[in-house]
Amino acid sequence: MPVHRMRPGDHAFVSYEDGDSRAQIMAAFVWLGVARGEKVTVFADPALSEQEVRDAVQARGPSVAPALNRGQLEFSSMRALLSPDHEFTVGRQHARLTEETEHALRQGYTGFRAFIDMAWVRDLGADIAVMIRRETHSAHLFTGRPYSEICAYDRRWFAGDVLDHMAKSHPYQLLDRLGVLNIVESDDTLLVIGEADISGRARFTDGVRAALTRTERAALLTIDLSRLHFLSLGCATDLLALTLAATTRPQIAVACDPYVARTLRRLGSDSISKLALIEVSRQC
Amino acid sequence: MLADPRRPFDGEADGRLLDRQFTARDLPQLRVLVEECAAWAGLSDARRGDFVLAVDEIATNAIEHAGGRGHLTLRRVGDELECKIADSGPGFSEDVIPDLLPGLDGAPSGRGLWLTRLVSDRLAISAGAIGAVVTLAMRLR
Repeated sequence: MPVHRMRPGDHAFVSYEDGDSRAQIMAAFVWLGVARGEKVTVFADPALSEQEVRDAVQARGPSVAPALNRGQLEFSSMRALLSPDHEFTVGRQHARLTEETEHALRQGYTGFRAFIDMAWVRDLGADIAVMIRRETHSAHLFTGRPYSEICAYDRRWFAGDVLDHMAKSHPYQLLDRLGVLNIVESDDTLLVIGEADISGRARFTDGVRAALTRTERAALLTIDLSRLHFLSLGCATDLLALTLAATTRPQIAVACDPYVARTLRRLGSDSISKLALIEVSRQC
Repeated sequence: MLADPRRPFDGEADGRLLDRQFTARDLPQLRVLVEECAAWAGLSDARRGDFVLAVDEIATNAIEHAGGRGHLTLRRVGDELECKIADSGPGFSEDVIPDLLPGLDGAPSGRGLWLTRLVSDRLAISAGAIGAVVTLAMRLR
């Protein structure tokens, strides 16, 4: 799912290939949390100075100074979180994150969110197996609690099988950049994930057109937009125009959140008899 | 307790919350920033979505039809959240916005601007130093 959809109680995996993709996700996570009144801590790559991390966040948003000064935003490290312990243990980390969440709530914040760069594994010389155990036995940190966490893995350092295992072990996998559009085709469904804006409009439109052609003889085509974070007016218009033009199709269903449904209705979807909007709550 | 835990941005003295140049590749980041500022300014969830959608539409027009880039300024002005987008195109006027929603079976031009005007409390288009300046605003209360 896109990082914008992270909510209190979410535990998400993301992998990055360079500093820019990491910074995009980190900054968006930070600023959306600050805007929602949550306390935010970045447990950064120990190889980076605090100033470098701060600059990366600030370059993609307003000044970090107000949030830093009042303590709503902190730049820290896994080493500092575990201090005075020097060794990583699952129990110690869980206890400290629980304390931080409770402390944030006592301070009046609506929740606590942490961006954890998994470079701490290398820094602390932790056993990969212990890290995997941590990642797969953390549900109690999130269930019914206003704590959210992104675990960010460097694809250049972690082995592919570890990344695959970790991706599957987290309840959510994040798109690794802002503005990404993923289109997944199956027999009678077109699944669209991410953000459909000017940069992805041609791909979005081509994907819808191809799905309409591919399923011409099927009874129903479902276009699943429930995991789409943003649908531009241009893409929405293309979707409706293609649907209207698909004269041989008996039925097309568009699954989307209530906000996208309202936008499509405003643009005239109710006038297309073969089109049914199916409102669904968040599906990612 | 905090004095105001939902105060991420101090803003400038003139109420300016955001001041950015943009191209197509900046739009995803720009939408995040606009959403954050709108949340802080107090726009409700539903209106915030409309605001981001409208800003994206105007910014997209600047990229597609008016020089490939633009300049966005977001300010809190009284009880409104106001966004100005300046472009470097040939300029245009409100006359290009259709009064009624254009049909889907012809050229779908003007639908985005039509919806932008529908969801905005105020929409104005004026001549800028080079191209056009589009101002859209939503009431916060």
